[in-house]
Amino acid sequence: MRIFQVENTLVATARITQLENHRLLVVRETSGSRSVAVDPVGCKEGDWVIAVGSSAAKDAAGHAKYPSDLTIVGIIDYWDAEGPGKGAR
Amino acid sequence: MNIMRVVRDLVTTQRVGGLQARQLRVLEDAKGNLEVAVDAVGARVGDFVITIAYSSARIATGDPRVTTDLTIGGIIDDWSENKWHEPARAGL
Repeated sequence: MRIFQVENTLVATARITQLENHRLLVVRETSGSRSVAVDPVGCKEGDWVIAVGSSAAKDAAGHAKYPSDLTIVGIIDYWDAEGPGKGAR
Repeated sequence: MNIMRVVRDLVTTQRVGGLQARQLRVLEDAKGNLEVAVDAVGARVGDFVITIAYSSARIATGDPRVTTDLTIGGIIDDWSENKWHEPARAGL
């Protein structure tokens, strides 16, 4: 699992049906690189979250046929961005 | 998933059967790296899109037998060149 911070919601009206109406979020790693993740948890902007990749991303988004390669699985209660393991910014 | 932009269409008449007759597009990421993706939504040149990678890319085409590792899963309504390159906001 990797740690990300939620930047904002991503609106994509024209999408493949398999993506259903799940919420997509733009998330950022401490290195600054952006990704898009499926959010089955209900995150707010600014939340620090943990997300899974590979086949776990499909199951975490609902079922094994869901086409996600990055799914948020939890909101971190408290994360000190300047603490140990802050990564390269 | 990642945010990428459609650069051009790609035609490959001679291809493996696993790719079927799927439309291919050349995409670039924020750094300008090029990748080729199967287009499952009908994106046009200049569109900012969401790409799905790894084995989920195969499901995203609608047929898991398609041999792709990157598929366009949606067209982003509101994205711009500036948004792409803006640094993380302070306090976020």
